[in-house]
Amino acid sequence: MTAKPVPAGQRRKKYSMSRLERKNTLIAYSFLAPNFIGFAIFTLVPVILSVVMSFTEWKGGALSSMQWVGLDNYASIFKSVKVGQKMGELGFFGGLDYFFNKVDLGISLKNTVFYTAVTVPLSLVAAIVLALVLNKAVKGAVAFRAVLFFPYVASMVAICVCWNFMLMKNGPINQMLMSLGSTFNKSWTADGTMAFWAIVLVSVWRNMGYYMVIYLAALQGIPRELYEAATVDGANKWQQFWAITLPQLRPTTFFASIMLIIGCFKIYDTVYIMTEGGPGRATKMLVLYIYQEAFNNYHYGLASAIAMVLLVVVLLVTILQFRMEKRYANN
Amino acid sequence: MTQVRRFPIGKILIYLVLIALSAFTLIPFVWMISASLKLDREVFSFPMRWIPETFHWENYSLIWTKVPMLTYFKNTAIIAICVTLIQTLTSSFAAYAFAKLRFKGRDVLFLCYISTIAVPWQAYMLPQFILMRSMGLYDRLLAIMVLQAFSAFGVFLMRQFYQNIPDELCEAARIDGLSEYGIWARIMLPLSTAAIATLVIFTFVGTWNDFMGPMIYLTRDENKTIQVGLRRFIQENSSDYHLIMAASVVSLVPVSVVFLALQRYFIEGIATSGLKG
Amino acid sequence: MKKTIALVLAAMMLISLVSFSLADETKTLTIVAWDANTTGYLTAQKEAYEASHPGVKIEYIDVSSQDYDTKVAAMLAGQDKSDIYMVKDIPALLNWYEAGYTYDMSDYIKAANYDLSGFVGMETNYAFDGKQVALPFRSDFEILFYNKDLFDAAGVAYPTNDWSWEQYKEAALAIHAADENVYGTHYHTWLSTAVNYTVADGVNTLVDGNYDDLAYFYQLIQDLEDAGACMSYSEIRAAGLHYSGAFGNGNIAMMPMGYWYVATLITNIASGDYNVKNWGLAAMPTKEGVQAGATFGNLTGAMINNLSEQKDLAWDYIAWLCGEEGSKVTAGTGNRPAWVSEGVADVMSAIEGFPADETSKASLLPTYVAIEIPGMEFTAQISNILGEEHSAIMSREISIEEGIENMNERVAEVLGE
Repeated sequence: MTAKPVPAGQRRKKYSMSRLERKNTLIAYSFLAPNFIGFAIFTLVPVILSVVMSFTEWKGGALSSMQWVGLDNYASIFKSVKVGQKMGELGFFGGLDYFFNKVDLGISLKNTVFYTAVTVPLSLVAAIVLALVLNKAVKGAVAFRAVLFFPYVASMVAICVCWNFMLMKNGPINQMLMSLGSTFNKSWTADGTMAFWAIVLVSVWRNMGYYMVIYLAALQGIPRELYEAATVDGANKWQQFWAITLPQLRPTTFFASIMLIIGCFKIYDTVYIMTEGGPGRATKMLVLYIYQEAFNNYHYGLASAIAMVLLVVVLLVTILQFRMEKRYANN
Repeated sequence: MTQVRRFPIGKILIYLVLIALSAFTLIPFVWMISASLKLDREVFSFPMRWIPETFHWENYSLIWTKVPMLTYFKNTAIIAICVTLIQTLTSSFAAYAFAKLRFKGRDVLFLCYISTIAVPWQAYMLPQFILMRSMGLYDRLLAIMVLQAFSAFGVFLMRQFYQNIPDELCEAARIDGLSEYGIWARIMLPLSTAAIATLVIFTFVGTWNDFMGPMIYLTRDENKTIQVGLRRFIQENSSDYHLIMAASVVSLVPVSVVFLALQRYFIEGIATSGLKG
Repeated sequence: MKKTIALVLAAMMLISLVSFSLADETKTLTIVAWDANTTGYLTAQKEAYEASHPGVKIEYIDVSSQDYDTKVAAMLAGQDKSDIYMVKDIPALLNWYEAGYTYDMSDYIKAANYDLSGFVGMETNYAFDGKQVALPFRSDFEILFYNKDLFDAAGVAYPTNDWSWEQYKEAALAIHAADENVYGTHYHTWLSTAVNYTVADGVNTLVDGNYDDLAYFYQLIQDLEDAGACMSYSEIRAAGLHYSGAFGNGNIAMMPMGYWYVATLITNIASGDYNVKNWGLAAMPTKEGVQAGATFGNLTGAMINNLSEQKDLAWDYIAWLCGEEGSKVTAGTGNRPAWVSEGVADVMSAIEGFPADETSKASLLPTYVAIEIPGMEFTAQISNILGEEHSAIMSREISIEEGIENMNERVAEVLGE
């Protein structure tokens, strides 16, 4: 996020002195220390250990029993030999086709990316629309906000059980859809396509209230003069939305989309409770795959390697977003 | 806003949409409450009944006697309150450095924070557990507190808020001879009540509903939290979904109270600082 | 600094909030088990052992059954020193063995000249590389539960211990035809309750890489589903319907389930929670050419933690638990011990609420029990694969043939690695 008051920044640059910087660094570290020490011990070190673990074979037991295996785990999750062989037989795309339809990593990567690609925009749009509506002087706005935030407050276990029931054959959702002319009447979570949409539905349902609150806050921060000027210029509400509201919301969207993308990539609870990745592997996501390798098969190295794949993909997307954001900001 | 008054149809439409959405949001909760008043075998009977044949209010007293739910509540509350306190305090402290101070290694450190958010917990849970255990932090509420209290999320969130507070304010204060700690305490904190309310709600709710952490780290019954305690209603050979639902409904109450109490600050407060770059 | 003082104070408060348990004078044996607070036989075993062994206290560490694998994986990796871990399934035990968490009991067994005959060979499923790393104390085999009142109402004869699967199917269809609100049978969502019967012939296993033999059982279930004679997998799965409540509801005539359900059923009928009054047990039906009374089963056992500091005491407990004395205690709670003798069988059929008819009593001693899934290097992965394809077949996402082809193909890849 860019700092708004540019003059202040420029002034400080001129003043910057090495002595001041050194003193600043010390002060800064004293600010960071309480959080960073805890963070480093309880999160950072284990994360680094798990990076190391992805290059080892370890079945548990003493940490010293880890064996360095280099890239073996990565070769194993990518099924590199088999995929290479298929590429030889069926050509490059034939190999890719095999990877994304037959290999666990390919399937869960495909599912996760697809899920993220659908859920993030839907959640963002729902959140913005709700925030815009509830930003107006609607009577009972407080009540509506509370209701819409409710899904985030509820515990996942109970909620997912409820949703599974809502989405059953002859359940309320199917009956509603059938009254609108749909012919689908099967339990969503037992259908290869609809199970995926059930997960998306529950995720959006949970996300929208949460991000609505953040957008609401951002909307109140937009200077009113901008709209007044636009009204004088004769712009209608729709034009104002595109010319003022949306650009002003961009920093928030940036923050929200990064958090959403990371959250979507790490989806686990919903899938585990609602479908267990099924039917078949239709909703198998990366973290579910990690979980299986770690706690069913005791392949901790493999599990870490999958996590690294996830981390790399998320970091790539995040860096891309940073770049785009910077370019927008510079324009 | 005056626009709406001129087109009552638009207003009615908005209300209709809002009511429909709220209904959509609340349906599962209605089912939850309905299930919490049934017998176990009625919960999943089909076709479903929204209104139970007989209301089994005793479910709501059973949950307190069948398992030590009061202990679970107490533990959850202790953890949630402590985590929220530590998290809010240390995050806002660290976020000040990230947002307003320039120092060596700032970006690298910040990147460290961000990338840990992107690593799924399932992947580093085991090394973390071994580490914590060797520090004697197993099966103690303190374990969950230290795990939750220093999360990167809080620092990220607070940093975003602080960036919106104009640098001029800090500059002016520095010229007035205020130390950095003074600036944090007298300028940043008062200006960020909204941010703090936001963080308090998100942290409190997150900790209250956390399942995996307490499941792994807390073992003895007297240390368990609500979410872990709920699992006692699902056994290998039988399940008590009606009690799970009743306990879930009860466990919603404290979090809802926190949200409702803080939502005023939440909305108003954000408005004053504005979450934008 | 005010801040530091506040921080120190906060830290002190946190520490004071944490409770410490004080060491006992008597010897305490710590056992990690699932559902320890609510499982009748665990309480009974503890009480019986403590009564006959003064000076020893048993303390259970209770883990929810669904989280057992995850939680125990973490505990063991974290150098937990609890003396005994209950063994839920063989693949997990194999993982523990490979990670070095288990302790070889062979020497204890030899020194005590421990009588293994009562296990009728089942204990070998807990032996890897010639090391006996656990002993079973419960052995649950799949058995057919049926609701006598529903059979009577439909005028269908009760199951016998030598039924064929065709007779079973006919009965299920006939009962549903007589009253459409009654389901002839009920399959829980597990792979085992659906198709594991294939191993009853003693030849097929679930780890052999060829799953063509499962087709018969999948076809059977799908025919019954299509006829409405049993609830569809999709709905049971979506609703998270638990089999205990399902059968307890009183509109299901038959249900293949593990023997452990006897205890649950008796308790819930006695408390009035279930709509079932008269029920019976029969041996699982068999395919042609397979001896009547053959079924599959699974073991529940106990292992000594390699890091336990009181291995002698732990062995003493396991020896008691899995032997005749402990088995009688286990049997007295309606569960089937792994160590069976005439005396133990008498205890089993004598418990209150157990059906009085001869067929039920005779079904307690199956002619052959194959292990549900044997422990070998790839068992866990194979289970995963079979489970995934099972859900795809049962929710009719793919045909039976496709599903089995996938199983064959994917397992071959694992085995070929």
